[in-house]
Amino acid sequence: MRAPRPARLRRDPRGERVLQPRPDGRVRVLRGEAATAAGSPIVAGVTAATAPAVPVRTIEQPAYLVLVVPDAIDGRLSAQDRDLIGLGRAMADADGGAVCVATFTAPLEDLGTAGADRLVDLASAGDAPERRAAMLQACVAREHPRHVLFPESDWGGGDLGRRLAALSGSPIATSAWRADLATAARRAGGGTREVSMATPLILVVEPDVGEAVTGERYEARIVDAPGAPDLAPRVVDRGLRPYDPQSVALEEAEFILAAGNGVSDWAAFHALASALGASEGGSRVVVDAGALPRHRQVGATGAITTARCYVALGISGAPQHLQGVSACEHVIAVNVDPNCDMMKRATLAVIADAQAVMHALLVLCRDKGG
Amino acid sequence: MTTPSNIAWLLIVTAAVAAVGAWRRWRLWRAGQPASVDWIGGLLAMPRRYLVDVHEVVAREPASARMHVHVAGGLAAILALLVLIYLLDLQSWWLRLALLVAVLMMWRGLRMLVERRRAPPAHLSRGGFQRLPDVLRLLAIGLGVLAVFLVLGNREVGGIVGLALFATLALGMAELAVATWGGPLKHAFAGALHLAFHPRPERFSGEKRSTALKPLDLAAARLGAERPIDFKWNQLLGFDACVQCGRCEQMCPAYAAGQPLNPKKLIQDLVLGFSMTGDDRRYTGSPHPGQAPGDRRGAPTAPIVPELVAPETLWACTTCRACVYECPMMIEHVDAILDMRRHLTLAQGATPAKAVNVLEELRQTDNSGGQDPKARIDWAVDQRLRLMRDVRQADVLLWLGDGAFDRRVQRTLRALFKLLRAAGVDFAVLGEEELDCGDLARRLGDEAAFQSLARRNLAILGRYRFNIIVTADPHAYHSLKNEYPALGGHFRVMHHTGYLAGLQRQGRLKIAASTDARPVSYHDPCYLGRYNGEVAAPRALLGALGVPLKEMARSGLRSRCCGGGGGAAITDVPGKLRIPDMRMEDARAAGAEIVAVACPQCTVMLEGVIGPRPEVRDVAELLAEAVVE
Amino acid sequence: MDEAAGLQVVTLVSVGRHPVTGRARRAPLDARAVELGLRIPGARQVLLHAGDPGAEALREYLGMGVETMHVVRCGPRDDVLPALRAPLRTLRPSLILTGMRAEGAEDSGMVPYLIAQSLGWPIVAQVADVAIGRDGKATVVQALPRGRRREFEVTLPCVLAAGMGAPAPRPSAYARAWRGRMAEASVAPVADARCEGWQESLARPRGKRLRAPRGGSAAARQRAATVVVASGGAVLQPGSPQEAARAILEYLRRAGVR
Repeated sequence: MRAPRPARLRRDPRGERVLQPRPDGRVRVLRGEAATAAGSPIVAGVTAATAPAVPVRTIEQPAYLVLVVPDAIDGRLSAQDRDLIGLGRAMADADGGAVCVATFTAPLEDLGTAGADRLVDLASAGDAPERRAAMLQACVAREHPRHVLFPESDWGGGDLGRRLAALSGSPIATSAWRADLATAARRAGGGTREVSMATPLILVVEPDVGEAVTGERYEARIVDAPGAPDLAPRVVDRGLRPYDPQSVALEEAEFILAAGNGVSDWAAFHALASALGASEGGSRVVVDAGALPRHRQVGATGAITTARCYVALGISGAPQHLQGVSACEHVIAVNVDPNCDMMKRATLAVIADAQAVMHALLVLCRDKGG
Repeated sequence: MTTPSNIAWLLIVTAAVAAVGAWRRWRLWRAGQPASVDWIGGLLAMPRRYLVDVHEVVAREPASARMHVHVAGGLAAILALLVLIYLLDLQSWWLRLALLVAVLMMWRGLRMLVERRRAPPAHLSRGGFQRLPDVLRLLAIGLGVLAVFLVLGNREVGGIVGLALFATLALGMAELAVATWGGPLKHAFAGALHLAFHPRPERFSGEKRSTALKPLDLAAARLGAERPIDFKWNQLLGFDACVQCGRCEQMCPAYAAGQPLNPKKLIQDLVLGFSMTGDDRRYTGSPHPGQAPGDRRGAPTAPIVPELVAPETLWACTTCRACVYECPMMIEHVDAILDMRRHLTLAQGATPAKAVNVLEELRQTDNSGGQDPKARIDWAVDQRLRLMRDVRQADVLLWLGDGAFDRRVQRTLRALFKLLRAAGVDFAVLGEEELDCGDLARRLGDEAAFQSLARRNLAILGRYRFNIIVTADPHAYHSLKNEYPALGGHFRVMHHTGYLAGLQRQGRLKIAASTDARPVSYHDPCYLGRYNGEVAAPRALLGALGVPLKEMARSGLRSRCCGGGGGAAITDVPGKLRIPDMRMEDARAAGAEIVAVACPQCTVMLEGVIGPRPEVRDVAELLAEAVVE
Repeated sequence: MDEAAGLQVVTLVSVGRHPVTGRARRAPLDARAVELGLRIPGARQVLLHAGDPGAEALREYLGMGVETMHVVRCGPRDDVLPALRAPLRTLRPSLILTGMRAEGAEDSGMVPYLIAQSLGWPIVAQVADVAIGRDGKATVVQALPRGRRREFEVTLPCVLAAGMGAPAPRPSAYARAWRGRMAEASVAPVADARCEGWQESLARPRGKRLRAPRGGSAAARQRAATVVVASGGAVLQPGSPQEAARAILEYLRRAGVR
């Protein structure tokens, strides 16, 4: 039962810097507000937490509650979580209601700025999904929310929403992609049919539905949680398996360090991948040359990756290779040729010799103690 | 001791031992599946097939042909003369002289054989084959001495000389006797019967070419070859004809790339499989790259994969038919590989992972890339192509192939449209009604998908009237021309190079001399050259352009594969090199700055070679730049 | 090896649709569920489908190597739960496998949960792997995004719903598909009450949302919305490899991977 931390007001003077290219190929450094405006996805999250304090909106006597259950993985809200709370916000504001956010792990950020009027901490349910569902059921029975919102995600939101519906026999709309107080819409038949219905109690909402709250601040008042359910879980959580970046399939890897023709020191490459905790990948050329095994090949004939971050060392970026990184959020390319396609695709293009940068990175990682 | 009756007995015993071996071998072959065979016609045709068709292949290496003519011709003559002299007891002095001449002829061939075997190159097997020259020379010496005595009128040789002579003869004849038991001369015996009862007798008549896969009865209890005895009996006989000369090994692109396939070893694996139970330790040739002798075990009724043949060995094949084209014993390697692939895919679903996706996409979207079939000609919207659906009839039905989904191939097709229009050809396309021709599915062993695609294509083709189908894809060309007839589709089909060459000859297509002086090498696609014999038309077109043509060391019917056939580009079996890289190296060695191609698959494979490298252009693209409109 | 000998596994399968052509095929997630079942050594496998027994695509599951499929005839608007209940009673499985979400009907992903609820069994979602122990307990690995794996211990009987982290399904072999047995059963259809009041229409493609920049001054927002940054990324020409390395590490830190 830990109270959420207040908004962090400490400013990282370099935290909001964005590198922006200039026509002459040099880089312009944007700071502060200009950086925020440049819309870098990296600075977006930082800004939300460091924005100057705004007046807190309070709703004392809401007409109803909209209960929102974000994934809040490791206590942090994902973009989908924020959108979901935003949707809850819209559904609450439509008719004098309030948003109550339920969390199972102590949040590491201020849920008030995300749009929460109330906060209920269900951490005593533990990790077992069965117990969490039972706890939510108790919560629903007590608070009678008008709607309960879950994110349609593989982090557990989709699971929990369906569990609650099955447990309580409540109506549910899964994969909802539009919802207000009156109606909700979802897709069926493999995405070919659209079904709309009176908004049921439970909604499991797709990503990119609802708009995250920005520039506002709500009270996030803590309300009492129901007692932990008296239920021995039949599914015993044995915890997370240790994450080994090299055993994860490239398609699933979160962070990939990939090598191309510009890499020749393979010992350094492997050392760097392990120092960074990145999964190794490579272009077809290096895989054909036998420097990396076949299942490490990224591209149309290899793995189509979905990494959050992809570092391409000395890869010029054949079309087939670029197909393999099209879904990656952040792409850093290091190459001596600023005009190659990989550099054009990159969100950060570093004009340098990959081999030299690799060694410098390795030294830097070791200096920082791994 | 060397008396006429002793020699007669020696001949009879040799024949008897050989006959027992032959009977045992015959039983092993006949354990295979039934095949419809023209027994009498085959036997009658055999000498001609041997003297003409086999010789044609052997003579590609003139030295070895000379050697073979002398040894085999001499030995055959000797045996015939011995029968006449000793068993029929003919007393003519001329026969005796003929025997001496035959022995001298064989001796001459044996000297060449000894030379060849002194330091045998890697593609020749050792073992019994190393012993053969010595044993045959011993036999020749004995026969020579015998013939000299005969010519001099001595039919009996007594004393120690006679004893030694007889022993020499007996030792030499023993090698002949064990031929049917698996000795190094087995190929002569099995080969002769194989020629008579060949699974593709049509390859010896007419066009001298038979390259279409035979349809598989999908309702059969067993699909494809799971065990050695699941092959047709005359296929087993064909495997047994292998003389392990290694010409297939020399030409196989997968072997050269270090992929785990040596066609010669594969045939020997299958011989091991149907003829005995044990491992391959007695095999004395080059192994499948990356495998050690003794690794492979088999038995006639044991599954072939993975104990006897590793699955990668089968999936490494590009079905380029270089092995079949080079085989002097007329063995059908590719048919055997396809039979085993058919079993893996249809009965076990054991297709390599990437190929599985392609097969599933083919079933679901009728194209290998899983593209929206309705978008097949979206890219050509500016071309205002006439659709068969609208015009109902046209002189030429232009078959676009699945390359229509590929940006690179679309360039070739645009060039082809331009050429056809310049020549005033009345052509139309099927548009979204066209489905994949089924070649890829079939080569990956999925006969069900092939037949489904082919039958639906045939139904669509049946709706329209056209004189000829023209396509820029040799794989579609081969399927439509050679493989659809078995399913009831008989069309006139031409590859675009053949059709354009005809237009150019007739003066309908006017080509100006090219201003590009860069040397060009033409890469023959396997499915156009070896599969269909078309090597002249593309060269005629390049000749009309007047570009400097530099032939690669391997070109025409002996061209080296690009690595893209038979689904090999998808199964992507690891090796030491990549086949397209080797082919590009061939072009560089020939001094080419442009590689002219005539197949979308070759285009994609060769363009995948990392530069700097010669430019890859389809013949149609080169022509389109020089066409006079 | 034989911990699971005799274990009865029932895998619920549906008819999927190809995303481009809409043709019927095995549903990818259900196929992964079948794959999970086939990897349990010694277990007896049966497939169960509620829908049209004439659907040829169902044979693709048999082609994976399961010999029998029970099909309960069921219309598109019928409730599959009562249809599945009867065969489940006769088959008495100790383990029910299924994909996270059936295809072809409502695609709600609720069926595994409702079945588990009606049987009173525990359920684990997004299953990537399962191993049956000697003690009648299953060790279940759940796939979370980004390669994370969580391990559970479940007492049988239970329902496991396979996710995309489950092993890729083996190919369907033509011969096995046509040799496999389809047993048809029929139960009295029950209309799905949950669908009442739903309105259906053909789905139109939904556009991808562009995020409008927020915060900052109006001028900054307008500039961010209108200025197109060439190639979308920052270009850095560092003075030294060390400088490049520092910039990259800084970027990685802010991307949240370091």
